[in-house]
Amino acid sequence: MSEPVLRTEHLTKRFGGLTAVDRLSFSLAGGRLHAIIGPNGAGKTTFFNLVSGLLSSDGGRVYFLGRDITGLKPHQISRLGIKRTLQIKSVFPQLAVADNLWITAQAGERFLHPFRPATRDRGTREKVERTLEQIGLSALAQRQAGTLSYGDVALLEIGMALISEPRLLLLDEPTCGMSPAETERAVGKIRELARVIDIIIIEHDMEVVFGIADDITVMAQGAILASGSPAEIAADERVREAYLGREEDADYVEEEVHA
Amino acid sequence: MTSAVAIERALLFALAAFLISVPWSIPALVNDFWVSVIAEILIWSLFAASVNLLFGYVGLLSFGQALYFGFGMYGVAIGISDLGLSFWPAFGLGVAAAMAMALVTGIFAVRLTWHYFAIITVVFSLIVYFLALSNKWLTGGDDGINFTLPATFSLGGKSWSFTDATFQYFFILATVALCFWLMHRLIGSPLGRAFLAIRDNDVRASLIGLNVYRLRLIAFIMAGFLAGVAGALFAFFGRYASASYMFYHVSGDAVVWAIVGGAGTLLGPLVGTTIFILVREIVSTHWEHHSLIVGVVAILVVMFAPKGLVGLWHEWLTRLTERGGAAAVETKLRTEP
Repeated sequence: MSEPVLRTEHLTKRFGGLTAVDRLSFSLAGGRLHAIIGPNGAGKTTFFNLVSGLLSSDGGRVYFLGRDITGLKPHQISRLGIKRTLQIKSVFPQLAVADNLWITAQAGERFLHPFRPATRDRGTREKVERTLEQIGLSALAQRQAGTLSYGDVALLEIGMALISEPRLLLLDEPTCGMSPAETERAVGKIRELARVIDIIIIEHDMEVVFGIADDITVMAQGAILASGSPAEIAADERVREAYLGREEDADYVEEEVHA
Repeated sequence: MTSAVAIERALLFALAAFLISVPWSIPALVNDFWVSVIAEILIWSLFAASVNLLFGYVGLLSFGQALYFGFGMYGVAIGISDLGLSFWPAFGLGVAAAMAMALVTGIFAVRLTWHYFAIITVVFSLIVYFLALSNKWLTGGDDGINFTLPATFSLGGKSWSFTDATFQYFFILATVALCFWLMHRLIGSPLGRAFLAIRDNDVRASLIGLNVYRLRLIAFIMAGFLAGVAGALFAFFGRYASASYMFYHVSGDAVVWAIVGGAGTLLGPLVGTTIFILVREIVSTHWEHHSLIVGVVAILVVMFAPKGLVGLWHEWLTRLTERGGAAAVETKLRTEP
């Protein structure tokens, strides 16, 4: 089998006495949409922070396409092609929607020209226009990103991930706080993206998870509790106990499995 | 929107016309003294622009820009009086010294942000200020260094220098205008957008692949350049350099000028500097507590106009020219069901 896209070995992060991520060994095969679920405090976001370099690990290693990226800075990891969205929506609030995409597209360039107008770059302009269309924000292109609705900000974040042409995309609760209509739109977008890039998604919405994931990993207390196909996860007793124990979720999983 | 742009362009044109006419119009209207006040305003507005570049465009509030202003001054003064340099090499030495100092201090300072950054910039400027005071053999301390002006241009026996008040004014105007133009170009460039991205959200900026530390350092050196040019000009203008211009009061003035005028707007520093120097020149002869006015204006602006006077003006102009249009746009643009 070929080298996994992302692989971690005994990855560990401690916050004082709390071990948020505990000797986590994870492997992502290419071409699959992988979801990570787990109760609050399971260490899912910390895991993303370790992979993207926002936090430095206390032990273990991270490999991306076979390359050891442990300890690299966030911008270096980003330039290798790992992009992510944040759980709390994070864009450049005072810049226009189009400018948010523009700077994201240009950020990967080795040399940022200090005096030539940014708008003169025709390649980037076309990319920005195409991305605006893809995420359905063309009409809001000149609006300040800080004035957008929550759902639109989330879409802009996905657009920013998109325009930077990632090889691996880490989505941290992309549909959190979205209306049902917005969720549907975002899920469609993610499914479309998953055809061309590898995606790991953290998500609380079980409908979304079981609707789009090829593989699911369940985390609890910083470690992997179970990993497998949606059907396997839904049938797993330990997962039911630890995480899906609540009536409504269990019912839902039943439906999914029988569907 | 287009009418707002047209109004601003007309104002800019009027400002340029006024500034060019100063050596003739001002002596006719008031007296020669005010020509040099306006030259001084131009120099200090360039200094305030260096604060604005850092705070308004990169989000770093420096309370130590006087250090680089002082290096610009001393580069010129020491270059001329000790090293016997002519005008341009001395000018270059001043600017280079300011940028080199910005590089050295920036390496440490831009690791920090917000109040930590503000504090470390003050600390650096205080350290160097006291060093400059105590090393009288080099800096002249509080008395400073006086020097004789070399000619700026010499051509076939004819020479131009700052001793000619009109030449001095136009040289300062041209240099300051060039720097503001460069800054305008910078803001619209890919590098400028990267600065804005860092100002808005540095975590996100690093996640899209921007090297936040290096970009902040570049901005810090660029701000050192602006402060250095201002300091060098001020040395030629006053024919001397003094450690007192490195004191943090001077840095603090520039922060107030930039914020009141409008941090994050190109001409905000010019507006702020103009207002405060005019207040100082007009009021201080009648009333010794003129800095009270400065304080009150600063507090009012910070409370009611976070983007300064220029920001207030932009807002007002947009509302005026887009009246009725804004609501329509709002409903038309909503795409959500």
